[in-house]
Amino acid sequence: MTAATTTAAPLRLILVDDNRERAAAVEACLALSGFAVLSVIPTASGLLFQMAQQEPDVVVIALDSPDRDVLESLSIASSHNPRPVVMFSEAGDQGFIGDAIRAGVTAYQAEDINPDRVRAVIDVAMAQFAAYKGLRQELDQTRAQLAERKLVEKAKGLLMTIHKVSEEEAYSTLRKLAMDQHQSLGATARGVITLLQQPKSARRRP
Amino acid sequence: MTIRSQLAPPERTALRLGFLRLSDSAPLIMARELGLYQKYGLQVDLLREVSWANVRDKLVSGDLDAAHMLAPLPLATALGAGGMRADMITALVLSLNGNAITVSPGLALEIAGRGGDPLQSARSTATALGRYLRETTPQPELTFATVHPFSCHTFQLRLWLQAGGIAPERDVRIIVLPPEQMVDSLARGIIDGYCVGEPWNSVAVQYGVGAVQVTGHQVWNNAIEKVLGVTAQWHKLHPGTHLRLRLALMEACTWLAHPANRVDTARILAQPEYLDMPRDQLLPSLTGQLQFVKGQPARELPEFHVFGRYQAGFPWRSHGEWLLQQTGAVLGKTLAPERIKALVQQTFRTDLYREAARYLDLPCPSGDYKPVNRHNSAWELEPGIELGPDMMLEEWL
Repeated sequence: MTAATTTAAPLRLILVDDNRERAAAVEACLALSGFAVLSVIPTASGLLFQMAQQEPDVVVIALDSPDRDVLESLSIASSHNPRPVVMFSEAGDQGFIGDAIRAGVTAYQAEDINPDRVRAVIDVAMAQFAAYKGLRQELDQTRAQLAERKLVEKAKGLLMTIHKVSEEEAYSTLRKLAMDQHQSLGATARGVITLLQQPKSARRRP
Repeated sequence: MTIRSQLAPPERTALRLGFLRLSDSAPLIMARELGLYQKYGLQVDLLREVSWANVRDKLVSGDLDAAHMLAPLPLATALGAGGMRADMITALVLSLNGNAITVSPGLALEIAGRGGDPLQSARSTATALGRYLRETTPQPELTFATVHPFSCHTFQLRLWLQAGGIAPERDVRIIVLPPEQMVDSLARGIIDGYCVGEPWNSVAVQYGVGAVQVTGHQVWNNAIEKVLGVTAQWHKLHPGTHLRLRLALMEACTWLAHPANRVDTARILAQPEYLDMPRDQLLPSLTGQLQFVKGQPARELPEFHVFGRYQAGFPWRSHGEWLLQQTGAVLGKTLAPERIKALVQQTFRTDLYREAARYLDLPCPSGDYKPVNRHNSAWELEPGIELGPDMMLEEWL
């Protein structure tokens, strides 16, 4: 009877992630998918308490959290309720494990929960983590490009005022320097700025 | 050069190794600093991990090639206890000893008030703690922390408590905390004591928030501590690379065996890309000058960490069997002796250790088992095979 599992009460979960932005995105997505997010906490220092208070079915935790060892220990200490077990222990599906690890997420479930339902939680979390990672990389890239553009503009300006050249000449000088030194335009610009911003006396010394 | 040319070519040369922020990750770090990976044609990336669960999972998923690991972890993983089940092996022990048990200043006073003296023996402080628990009404509720359920830390803490007539399951609460959260948790009074590897005991002593009661060495002389862990599958695919990696690490351990090199080691480990903490927190245990209480003179403990001597690298199957028995005890299960023997044989690869020792011309024990609790000073097992003291407090009861 699969109907029983689909109509069962929503899985109740705690999310442990020290990255606030990411946690908010994952929480929203899990809630949209019909899971009840009881709380989101940054580290497990309050986890033992939260677990006892809220008795979640699942704990979803960022892979890079040192508290994973704490969670695993709970699956052994019988005095804690609920008893989480590692999602992966039964699955033995290495492809899935690898995907989850690369996405940066893992989950611990209460013992009597259908593993397929927990898997759905992880699938949602995984997708969100991966999406966040992608966004993050894009953002970093854009930031780096912006920073490089600023450096190039500044170097150009310095060249123009100090050497009295046109903007075009300043730019082609930079590009030629970069090619000769096998460096990026940004790195070359940074070098030029350092050099040109030194006091004149220091610059002239051999 | 001759050694290198005799070696089989590596199946892969670019490796990712995992380590945790602990002083006994020194062999992995020093092998890189001394150029030993390069010497064996390997190019190694060292990745700082935050939990043992992470290390294990990344090994299984292939995101790490090999890692610094708690000695019981390959066995527990092969057994499927706790986390996921996977066949793991070790062919090299990286270090012996290196842990200590630290308690809050308040609890240290109770222990001292009942005659417990850390300078005397492990049993002295344990007995005093036992008296404190029995003589105080209502019985104090003490919480101790260790770094992982299946760690020598847990086993050493349990042994120490038992030596004081304390039942680890009943009389106290034992929880798991990440090493880096120990000192803070002790200072805030969330826990009353812990068993952890260095530098996390020295850090508590230096801040004046904890007092060392006993060293791991006092609980069990020269106990196996960290190993080089790989999955059985990885070894099967990369036997040549695995051998080269072990040779590089064995040479690093031999270098670390010289006390004169330990100050440099502390300086290097302190760097941001490694442990990223003040050198002064790393010096005490690495140089064997451990302070037990803030303001008191340091104790001379040259064997606080043992690397590369007393056959430290050899994965004794007798040790492995003991670790599995203790793992069973933590799980509340008795594992059948045949099961233990078989699991240890498949996980503790003495054959592979001997293979590496031959290349380096290092003497190597001919048997896989050795007695425990027989020697209170260094002794010779076979000609040229010197072993350290092996007393275990359990038997003194």
